Amino acid sequence: MRKLIPAAAAVAVAALALTACSGGGGTSEPAATGEIKGEITLQTWSLTPKFQPYLDKVIKGFEAKYPGTKVKLLDQPGDGYSDKIVSQASTDSLPDVVNIPPDYGVALAKSGALLDISSVQKDLDKTYVAGALDAFKYRGLDGVYGLPWYLNTDISYWNATQMTAAGLDPKKLPTTVDEQIAQAKIMHDASGGKNFLMSSKPAVGDFARAGVPILNEDGTKTAFSTDAAVQLLQKYVDAYKAGYYPSSVLNDDYLGNSQLFTKGQVAFSTGGGPAYKDFVRDNPSLAKSIVMGPALNDQPPLYVQGLAIAKKSKNQATALAFANWILNPENQLEFANLTNTFPSTTASASDPSLSKSDGTPAGDAKVLAFNSLQKAKVLSPIEFNDAMNKILNQQVSLAMKGDVPAKKALDDAASQIDKLLANQ
Amino acid sequence: MRSHRWFTPWLLVAPALLWLGAFSFWPAINTVRMSFTNAKPLGGTEQWVGLRNYTNLFSDPQVANALLNSVVYMAVCLPLLTLLPLGIAVLVEKKIPGITFFRTSFYLPVIASAVVVALLWNLVLDEGGVVNNIVQSLKWVQGPIPFLTDRWLVVFSSISLTVWKGLGYYMVIYIAALGNVSKDLHEAAAIDGAGAWRRFWSVTVPGVRGAMILVAIMICVSALRIFTEPYFLTGTTGGPGGFASSFVMIIQQYARGLLGNLGYASALSVVLFFICLIPMLILARQNRKES
Repeated sequence: MRKLIPAAAAVAVAALALTACSGGGGTSEPAATGEIKGEITLQTWSLTPKFQPYLDKVIKGFEAKYPGTKVKLLDQPGDGYSDKIVSQASTDSLPDVVNIPPDYGVALAKSGALLDISSVQKDLDKTYVAGALDAFKYRGLDGVYGLPWYLNTDISYWNATQMTAAGLDPKKLPTTVDEQIAQAKIMHDASGGKNFLMSSKPAVGDFARAGVPILNEDGTKTAFSTDAAVQLLQKYVDAYKAGYYPSSVLNDDYLGNSQLFTKGQVAFSTGGGPAYKDFVRDNPSLAKSIVMGPALNDQPPLYVQGLAIAKKSKNQATALAFANWILNPENQLEFANLTNTFPSTTASASDPSLSKSDGTPAGDAKVLAFNSLQKAKVLSPIEFNDAMNKILNQQVSLAMKGDVPAKKALDDAASQIDKLLANQ
Repeated sequence: MRSHRWFTPWLLVAPALLWLGAFSFWPAINTVRMSFTNAKPLGGTEQWVGLRNYTNLFSDPQVANALLNSVVYMAVCLPLLTLLPLGIAVLVEKKIPGITFFRTSFYLPVIASAVVVALLWNLVLDEGGVVNNIVQSLKWVQGPIPFLTDRWLVVFSSISLTVWKGLGYYMVIYIAALGNVSKDLHEAAAIDGAGAWRRFWSVTVPGVRGAMILVAIMICVSALRIFTEPYFLTGTTGGPGGFASSFVMIIQQYARGLLGNLGYASALSVVLFFICLIPMLILARQNRKES
């Protein structure tokens, strides 16, 4: 008997652990149509406290329209959001309405955690602007797994003070990478190599912008190691070698260029419409220096944030009704004007308030971004995850440092990324 | 005297057993299991892939680089962090006025956040940072030293941060151990004509040998599992080519995110576990032999 006890205890421990780790499967699918009542949770990504009053107002409006409903707001911090979503989805605790970008949605949709909204709502194509809605249609899956909420794109920010000091005309901003490199040389020579007009390494979006296919047709292998990609990378390699970049750029990640710009260490950055306010807030001296222009090479990226519905939501009808409420043209327009982003419904996307500046630089940035948005495209394939971006970034750095030729860097990145794709 | 029921001891250890089972043993077993699958963070179509993750691992150049970095990390940290804190402990053990100030000063880096310290060192070692400004203004070098972009300079910059931060921690362990070294032995050695240096090697070091083995094991394991220092010194990128990545950085790179490859990351974790065992077994065996 005594020998049995430790064994029983071990089994109990293992069983308890197994129970804790297992999902709560076996529940019947809730209905997306039905009575709108009960409590739901809206999970947003880094929107409070700044936009808490807006969100509270929208929630109150919904609760007033549908008595018997209650919406709980849960805002998650910016860092580690994907890890939080993984944890929620793997424990079946994904909030009823969840704010996600399209690349987060693909894994959730494939694992069956998200509702195919097109199965219960038929007018989506007419309601939302095409490029934004398409971002939530995934290769290999039928349906639409999220509704676009707010959109943004990149414009170019330049430091006019540094440009003027180098003899450059801030009214004749570079419009292509080639022009930027040419002006970077002038700034480099004029400042004795102390000022820089180049601030970011080429990333996956830059290759896509240059017409390089990133993945093959079915998204199972890389296709970016082409002559065009090598030529593009070589331009940056030569620019780095000539000293047009600060060396710290080799270790920079996605936000690196905006951080260098904020510190005044480089005279160029990309950013969305709202970035102007961030630059000036973090470094007020930039207020007199910033001038804005469209994204280089006339191909701005499209960034989409959306709302998805948890497939296991107990109040799916309420969740869907609330998502439609927060996404209705009036609410979207108000949010867009509040955040300097853009709405995703066809009814509000062309509202005159979005294309008119209030005369402030921030207003000008918004209008410039609005004009860019008309031709913006999602540049990075959904399958190209964080690890793949990191590998490409590392190999590009290696080539720019001069340690390997551009072709070998791209081949090595492709080979490593192919292994990751094979496991997806 | 009152006798206890036979299961009383089991009841007493049950909470600890449950805790260890749920948060140590089961995750460890699950990691080994996942290393033979193509597991994803969100589950789904998890399939048994046999040894594929392990065969991929041995042909992955990133893993070979990370392993070399981690081994170099351990090889440099081991002697530095085993001996330097002992020397400092001997110095600050003396009971002289104001010695508490020095003890506190050496210990301060231990309580500082590793992330904050790494970011501060980033500013210090950057090409436009304090160190480069000084050496360039003194005309010691022509251009800036690439502390944060050259592979081995990143590794050694990280090591210097680890050593600086670890000195105080291991010093405290040695101070406790030095309390057990008999003063009589020192006096006897001094009477026999042994100088301070000779007494250090012949009396102090043998007296704290147990603590040294413990410290050495802790250093080996933590050096092989280093993450924070190289991660933040390279702006989370691992440096050009990822060549300055540590083993744990590679694990994090593959495991993170909604599309992470948990199977491969688990295989890496299992390999790291066995790599950590090697120096521990060598040191433990050495200890047994000398005992």
